[in-house]
Amino acid sequence: MTGFVVRRIGQMALALLGVSVIVFALIHFVPGDPVRTALGTRFDPDVYEALVRRHGLDRPLVIQYFSWLGSALQGDLGVSFRSGQPVTGLVLERLPATLTLAGAALAVALVVGVPLGVVSAVRSGSKLDYIASAVSQVGVSVPDFWAGIMYILLFSLTLGWLPPSGYVSPLVDFTGWLRHLVLPALAVGLVSGSIIFRFVRSAVLEALNQDYVRMARAKGLSRRAVLFDHVLPNAWIPIVTVVGLQLGFLLGGVVVVEIIFAWPGIGRLAYLAVGDRDFTVLQGSVLYIATMFLVINLVVDLLYAWLDPRVRYD
Amino acid sequence: MTEPAAETTVGVVAHRSRLRTTAETVLRNRLAVFGLVILVLLVLVALAAPLIAPYTINEVDVANRLQGPSSQHWFGTDELGRDVFSRVIIASRVSLQVGFVSVGIALGLGVPVGLIAGYYGGRIDSILMRLMDILFSIPAIVLAIAILAALGPDIVNAMIAIGVVYTPIFARITRGSVLTLRDAVFVQAARSIGASDLRIIGNHVFPNVIAPIIVQTSLSLAFAILAEAALSFLGLGVQPPNPAWGRMLSEGRAFFQQAPWMAIFPGLAIFATVFAFNALGDGLRDALDPQQRSIIESRGRS
Amino acid sequence: MTQPVLSVRDLSVTFRTREGPAKVVDRISYDLGPGETLAIVGESGSGKSVSSLALMQLLPTPPAVVEGEAIFEGRNLLTLDEPEMQKIRGNRIAMIFQDPMTSLNPVRTIGHQLMEPIELHLGLTGRAARERAIELLHLVGIPSAEERIDDYPHQFSGGMRQRVVIAMGISCEPDILIADEATTALDVTTQAKIIDEIKGLQERLGMSLIWITHDLGVVAGVADRVVVLYAGHIMEEADVDDLFRVRRNPYTRGLLASLPVPGRTSRRLEAIPGLPPDPLRPPRGCPFSPRCPYVADVCVREEPALREPVPGHRSKCHFDPEDLHA
Repeated sequence: MTGFVVRRIGQMALALLGVSVIVFALIHFVPGDPVRTALGTRFDPDVYEALVRRHGLDRPLVIQYFSWLGSALQGDLGVSFRSGQPVTGLVLERLPATLTLAGAALAVALVVGVPLGVVSAVRSGSKLDYIASAVSQVGVSVPDFWAGIMYILLFSLTLGWLPPSGYVSPLVDFTGWLRHLVLPALAVGLVSGSIIFRFVRSAVLEALNQDYVRMARAKGLSRRAVLFDHVLPNAWIPIVTVVGLQLGFLLGGVVVVEIIFAWPGIGRLAYLAVGDRDFTVLQGSVLYIATMFLVINLVVDLLYAWLDPRVRYD
Repeated sequence: MTEPAAETTVGVVAHRSRLRTTAETVLRNRLAVFGLVILVLLVLVALAAPLIAPYTINEVDVANRLQGPSSQHWFGTDELGRDVFSRVIIASRVSLQVGFVSVGIALGLGVPVGLIAGYYGGRIDSILMRLMDILFSIPAIVLAIAILAALGPDIVNAMIAIGVVYTPIFARITRGSVLTLRDAVFVQAARSIGASDLRIIGNHVFPNVIAPIIVQTSLSLAFAILAEAALSFLGLGVQPPNPAWGRMLSEGRAFFQQAPWMAIFPGLAIFATVFAFNALGDGLRDALDPQQRSIIESRGRS
Repeated sequence: MTQPVLSVRDLSVTFRTREGPAKVVDRISYDLGPGETLAIVGESGSGKSVSSLALMQLLPTPPAVVEGEAIFEGRNLLTLDEPEMQKIRGNRIAMIFQDPMTSLNPVRTIGHQLMEPIELHLGLTGRAARERAIELLHLVGIPSAEERIDDYPHQFSGGMRQRVVIAMGISCEPDILIADEATTALDVTTQAKIIDEIKGLQERLGMSLIWITHDLGVVAGVADRVVVLYAGHIMEEADVDDLFRVRRNPYTRGLLASLPVPGRTSRRLEAIPGLPPDPLRPPRGCPFSPRCPYVADVCVREEPALREPVPGHRSKCHFDPEDLHA
């Protein structure tokens, strides 16, 4: 187990290093001079000079990378080409909003996907299974941003139940915050929920067909006891892995949905940075999102190891 | 020298009958057939789009702007009075094109990487797969946004970005299938008679990993089209005045209350296309890949 | 024969499939005496496993439809409700399965799985249940059971796992133990040891044993009586010695001919040509007629009855053995 944890953390560090190379390289993919491009019509030779020197863009690439990495490790991701504000601050300010939305969407996805998936598998072939499977087939094919727009159209503009977009701090107005959270969380969460439903269903079906399930029944255990004591503990293992991978999809969905709902998170920050050609802010946003994803997957893998004695005792 | 010939014939027959049973299984799956029918229709519509579309894509008619669906304009008109139906139909071409080209790129990069990594194993395997892990550790849409931000918003760049983003999936699936084969008897046999690696991979390994790749291709097409729609929605894909479903959606957002059809119909088009590829992919998986090797990878990201 | 422990009468199992009903067990009847070992022999697909799962009500219904009677202590097992059945399963009638690698839940300890039936049926809890589990592990020959009880299945070898499975089977000292290919997945040496183990336990506990196998070699060593199943039909039933001495049925002859005989290495093994019938499209007449070397017109026209020309020896064939010339 310790070996597994160490190996897994090492892998994550390596992946993070790779991500840093990609993120660093971003600026250098920009055709021409990124700072000049970013400044555009607001070009000012003094600002230009300052930015180039601040980011050491006049030095050789390798040196640039390591000094950038060194600063990044200390939490310094440079300053916005646009506003001159420190990138780390800009990203960290928006991190809680993104985490909230991602967490709420995940909660929706799990609450919808897991119980329905289990019931569908246990009653496979039933009417409920048929309907749930059909709905999930639709769910996985709906673009989350379109779903978001349709929810706004229906629940905000037509029915007037919920605000169409925006954000209030939960410290100021908790119910207001909650009301703003519902639609974007549903937009991302229901799509992910459909996907999770399908995995849970197939994982539980698979576990139900194992010999040890038949053995447990032959010992005289009730269906219920077999389900909770033998089927689900085995089904969780693949489900946990899949939910981990799913979070990448979910984070991607959050990024796009933030834009639709004017949700002040990292996704919206990145989007605005793209429009402004504010490459340092874009770098920072991508780095943080990728780190979030990697950390979540690390946690998921450790959870996996904890759930599976075959890994735990190796 | 007659024996190898006979063997080949047997192989061909076996192959053909496998293809046939596969086709039969897929056709028995109602959902897959439904998906296939939608897809065939879509491709036909895309091919014949200029003939079908009642208006040209940029026929501005300000007098008739923001009109609801009618017999003249089935899907209504947009803020410039352009016919939404015509634009949705024409846009199917670019969606399918981006889908096919970007998945082609992902296949072209990912499959060889997976074959090499799985076949040779060892250090090459670790290096290649770690590289794939790194690509995999940035959520796809975010990576695509980043690539497009750097390269500049453009449809060709979008295809490259989506292609790169989906490469690791194909690499992983191919590698996974190759691993189960590397020590198979027929591979050992080929090796023992001194066949070259390239020959073994081409003749023995590749044909046996093709099933999960086909399944993955169909599922990835669904997600590539979703990704293109998202990127165009963000203004990073197809550039105006050319129509794209994602772009039309984002333009429609500004006229939500007056003209909801501007957002509804392009969204339905995306949904139908993605649904069709998903349904076909699921049907193919049931037929070709009963162990569902592809399932974990398929929906992991977008 | 004394009063049988289990009396199976006209047991049929039909699966409803998309292509129509598939009758995989067709009106089989047999008796199991106290302390007796009955071997049910057949190729895969002969219905031998399905018929015993049906007895335990462990077949999913639908798609399976089970008909007939199985009388155990004056009650029909096939019509008992689920709570009643749960009191019998693992307690009065226990069943162990083919593959020790997959019969144990990988994420539960051996002890947990072994204590389940003990707690459920014997009402023991906590320390008492644990002690009983350790005792059982000793009984089936697992060394240092006190320590190993908290191990997970993957920490055991195949033979050891099957011993654990057997311990689960006998944990409540059942009247009947059904062993479904219980030794097939093991190597020959381990197989022999496990068979000895089970036979020893049978004597000690006075259980009746239903031994399901495709391996006639094993049958000779363990069984008192043998039922030969083919395509869901009983083709022959006899005491084990009778069966090996006088094979009355052409199908049994074919099965025995495909068995390797020690010391007669030169003879080629004769596999029965052809394949078992598709249960969706059973042949007319005798189920074995498409593959039978002695097939006659009557075999294709009429299904033979399961006749009993010699008391205690039944055979489903139109002909007597002396009429059949190889």
